[in-house]
Amino acid sequence: MSEPQRVDRRAFLARTAALGAGAALPAIASATPVSATTAPPDVEPRSRDLTEVTIAEAATLIRRGRLDPADLLAAYRERIDEFDGVYQAFNHVAAPQKPKRGVLHGIPLAIKDNYFTADLPTTANSFLFQGFTPPYDATAVARLRAAGAVIVGKTQMGPLATTRATTPDGRITTVNAWAPSRQEVDPGGSSTGTATAVAGRMAAGGTGTQTGGSITAPSNAQNLTGLKPTMGRVSLHGIVPLSYTRDHPGPLARDAMDAALLLSTMAGEDPADPRTQGLPRVPDLVTAATPVRGRLRWPTRIGILPGYTADPFRSSFVDTLADIRGATIVEVPFPAEWDLLTGGAFNNVRLPERSEPFLPQLATDLRGFGVSVLGWLQGALLGANEFLIGQRAKMLLLQRVLTDTFTRCDVVVQTGPVPFDILGLPELALPIGFTAEGLPVGTILGGQPFAEDRLLSVAAAYQSVTDWHHHRPPDPTTTVSARTAPRRLTAEEAAETMQ
Amino acid sequence: MAPKPPTDDELDTVIRARLALLGIDLDQLPPGTAPDPETGAPGRDTALASLRSFLRTTVLPLAAYRFGPDPSLAQQTAPPLLYPSITSAWTR
Repeated sequence: MSEPQRVDRRAFLARTAALGAGAALPAIASATPVSATTAPPDVEPRSRDLTEVTIAEAATLIRRGRLDPADLLAAYRERIDEFDGVYQAFNHVAAPQKPKRGVLHGIPLAIKDNYFTADLPTTANSFLFQGFTPPYDATAVARLRAAGAVIVGKTQMGPLATTRATTPDGRITTVNAWAPSRQEVDPGGSSTGTATAVAGRMAAGGTGTQTGGSITAPSNAQNLTGLKPTMGRVSLHGIVPLSYTRDHPGPLARDAMDAALLLSTMAGEDPADPRTQGLPRVPDLVTAATPVRGRLRWPTRIGILPGYTADPFRSSFVDTLADIRGATIVEVPFPAEWDLLTGGAFNNVRLPERSEPFLPQLATDLRGFGVSVLGWLQGALLGANEFLIGQRAKMLLLQRVLTDTFTRCDVVVQTGPVPFDILGLPELALPIGFTAEGLPVGTILGGQPFAEDRLLSVAAAYQSVTDWHHHRPPDPTTTVSARTAPRRLTAEEAAETMQ
Repeated sequence: MAPKPPTDDELDTVIRARLALLGIDLDQLPPGTAPDPETGAPGRDTALASLRSFLRTTVLPLAAYRFGPDPSLAQQTAPPLLYPSITSAWTR
């Protein structure tokens, strides 16, 4: 069995009650290896186009000696040369590198530009980081490289990971790969560039970060499978902070298996990040993402929140899940005070976390924050009492989710990314259809702490009976010169849409 | 008796004073409402209006929240935890 239901709710509540009475936090477990060994799956390619194949398919071809990694990289670089002028997904395109041998040998990946890379600039798409080349790789990048991945480039993002990708002064850059001539079509943010790079077949997969929906939103907008893991699953060491307690690094991929391969590589304990230590072992995500013919890998209760199925795409999604053997659809209520505790004011308690690490720059270079500056000023204004109220509310909210939601189900649909971002719980975004005008529609599943395997198993089962995730956007016919002048976000718009 | 809600002028003073305590001079932003043409940073009047709204819509609901009807008992519930999901693993 998956590691189903690995949180002992009663023990958790008892311990946190004890904490409330003044007990100290339990000692952190001694450092032990937590990454499960990932056996790469053998997956036959569905397409002869090298940029169409998934990571699992490409890795299979490379392992069998049927594909030279240099040819795979060349195919992606050719598309970058041809189309990125329109997509504007990359901040920097990397020179070809010789890959190491490993699970991801020769797999070209797009890395969000807030991950440190020792051989490439890391700008977080901000004036404040112009010309900055870090002295080391982010832990997640180092692990991907050690597994054989090659970095095709650093991707455009919302300035400092706030909104959809714009220039630091607010001019829209990256477009949705499904509507490259229409800048008004939301490509999702702030991991916009990675999503467009993967959807536009300029990278086989990539990395993003999520603080308020920035993996799940671009994945949903661009027909990808994105996985925001539980807080602590992936080290944040070497990633430019937006909000310490809510930044989650994770993969954006073409299907559940690719997401599993990437997360397996990125995840695990890191001596440089205490948030990764003393946590449950990373389960075998690749097995979890391997569909079992005709059924779910593990019997799974899928919780449906009130009103979720009013949307026809979501209703059809639930119907499809219900027809998979092993799935039990259950209605679950919203926990008490859900809207209040996940809404505006309580969501805003994250903001001091973004101003504090930037106090030196706020003192000397306020304009350097560009169009995004208001969020940092807001954070500077919140006091410690408000911050503590918010941290207490997070505890209360988690208790309610464990009690009111996860006693009834193993996986729960989400109506937005923010609640589980606040709690640090895992979320998986996946495609579930297309609008009449051909734009992708996606949804989000939420899981219990450290139960990414369960989310992947449900996504893999759904993707084994649907083909939404196989759809790719047509190549852009727009030229760079034909693009309309980019709209410019105002500072107020940036503040309203920031994650 | 509840205190009188602060006026715009009072909030502007709070904002400037609080930022100054942290070493942040709002006058780094351009005067008025026009954004800085080079960086897109808002004018300081725009920033002040936005920050006043932020304080009213964020601090008031947070300050009004109660963790239970009895203040003495409410103190005993929901200790502040920065990382609730991680804590769920550490406290198993």
